[in-house]
Amino acid sequence: MNENPYQPLNAEIVDIIDESPTIKSFVVVPETPFKFETGQFVELTLPGEGEAPFTPSSSPSETDRMEITIMKAGRVTALLHDCTTGQKVGIRGPFGTGYPVDEFAGKEVYIVGGGVGLAPIRSLFLTLVDRIKDFKSVVCRYGARTPEDFIYKKALFGAWQKIDGVDIELTVDNADGKWQGRKGVVTTILEPADVDIKNAVAVVCGPPIMMKFATFKLLEIGFGPEKIYLSMEKNMSCGIGKCGHCMIGKFYVCKDGPVFTYEQIKGYSKIWD
Amino acid sequence: MKTVFTSKLEPFLNTVAEQMELYVPKKVGDHFAYTKHDPAAHIEAEFNNIRTCTPVKEFLFPFRELAAVFPKSVETEKVEPFAVFGLKECDLRSIEILDKVFREEDFKDPSYIERREKMFIIASDCFDPGESCFCNAFDAKAYPTAGFDLNVSKVTGGFVIEAGSDKGREFIEKHSQLFTEVPEAAMAEREQIRAGTQQQLETNNAELGFDASVKQAVLNGEESDVFDVEAKRCIECQACTRICPTCHCFYLYDTTREDYFAKMKMWDSCMRMAYAEVAGGANPNRLIAERLKHRLMHKFVHFLDRYGMDMCVGCGRCVDADAGGIDIRQMLRTLNEELKDKKKAKAAK
Repeated sequence: MNENPYQPLNAEIVDIIDESPTIKSFVVVPETPFKFETGQFVELTLPGEGEAPFTPSSSPSETDRMEITIMKAGRVTALLHDCTTGQKVGIRGPFGTGYPVDEFAGKEVYIVGGGVGLAPIRSLFLTLVDRIKDFKSVVCRYGARTPEDFIYKKALFGAWQKIDGVDIELTVDNADGKWQGRKGVVTTILEPADVDIKNAVAVVCGPPIMMKFATFKLLEIGFGPEKIYLSMEKNMSCGIGKCGHCMIGKFYVCKDGPVFTYEQIKGYSKIWD
Repeated sequence: MKTVFTSKLEPFLNTVAEQMELYVPKKVGDHFAYTKHDPAAHIEAEFNNIRTCTPVKEFLFPFRELAAVFPKSVETEKVEPFAVFGLKECDLRSIEILDKVFREEDFKDPSYIERREKMFIIASDCFDPGESCFCNAFDAKAYPTAGFDLNVSKVTGGFVIEAGSDKGREFIEKHSQLFTEVPEAAMAEREQIRAGTQQQLETNNAELGFDASVKQAVLNGEESDVFDVEAKRCIECQACTRICPTCHCFYLYDTTREDYFAKMKMWDSCMRMAYAEVAGGANPNRLIAERLKHRLMHKFVHFLDRYGMDMCVGCGRCVDADAGGIDIRQMLRTLNEELKDKKKAKAAK
């Protein structure tokens, strides 16, 4: 572990991929190999400007480069969107607790995602697919506002759909004429028959409002609160459970999370705000 | 335990000041504040009756400091050993709380640890407690019990000095010419003064009426309107959190120096509106009442759950500093009354 937890590791943006009108993926190469567990997050520093927390969207098996998918949402993300390749950046982390992938072994993994929430899920998905035989199945239900708003379009519409043991279904809130898939918010396509709930875990990541209703829907169709894994978004700044901004009750999202089971945090108020 | 006596403070403090920077309390208006001790100025150091108005955290966790430099390393200022005189039991307890966060967690704060290790703590007994002192509500004593290098107690004709650490014992041994044996009467007098001050605290706070169930009272207040009522007085000055010796929220920001970049660490306050806001605009604590509740929940519920101690030492600084007149004692008292009423109502059913 780095002696000074505030010290960023020097890195460089080597590629930028346009994902949607408001989302870009940045391929970042750190000065020295960078290890993380899927679901953990990093603080990405734009030198002299600021830093913001992101969960890498690439597989942890790649340590010499990392992909970070970023939606233009605030000051730092807007500045990052204006960057070009060659930009020097800094990475702190990895921070927090990721997905307990080993505990998912032998089970069906029911992944529910929305919008840019696909970013952490992509990392998890790639991790699961790497050892797909360890899981009974990986069932994904993704939603986006419009077909244009899906990220990782090429893989999502193509290669991922063809993997044995993977079942992907997509939905959009607002369809255009060409859209052949489902319509409606993602909660409307969650069905009890999608997985064998007794032997399944659910993973939810997306905008807070979507996570809230997806969690309620999962509870309704029979998932126990301890079987629902949520990747929480709060104002993580220090990443090491000290600065205070990301508290949910006694938990620091940056240290004890960002992945929590609903069981862990359901007793606290305002978790979705 | 090593205990010695001196009739005058000056030679002792000047000896400390010869070895390292020494900060001493100085009366400014109605309060004490720390100032650097200069032996050459021949100004007698004051013996403060209670804690200073500013918090001791300033010495360990400065308002703004350099947290990291990159992409290359540069020579940064070294922290030299320093001493602080006049810390009270509440101050020592606040250091214990900060230690939990910055020193004892699995992630350690290097700058805090460096300052902490270089700090020589010369504590002292309280006498004549202040109007806002309510440390006894958290079972604190009016005199230092642990966490000091040396402690000074004022008695007739001089000062009893007690070592509380190896560093303190070594100081006394090395400078034995400064001290004499403690007169028998002095020890007895010290105990008497301590008991008297403690009694005074108990009397001053007799009507506070909240007890070991502070956590229960605050938890029960989830729906209480005390936060809405107090929020009306709040002018969002954030003084309560800045002056609090245990509040330790900070934020990191980035800046550009001549030929390198710096990551800075600066105090933050949970009473600031955008404190918990995320980039998308969501904010669980937009209303002042929500922020007040969060502050109390953190101090008396969440910190206790996590570290096994309250994040309040009853020093009363926030009571003195609050520009809007919010009194944490009053809030806790109201919450405690509400809990009592609830229990009564339940029993009556």
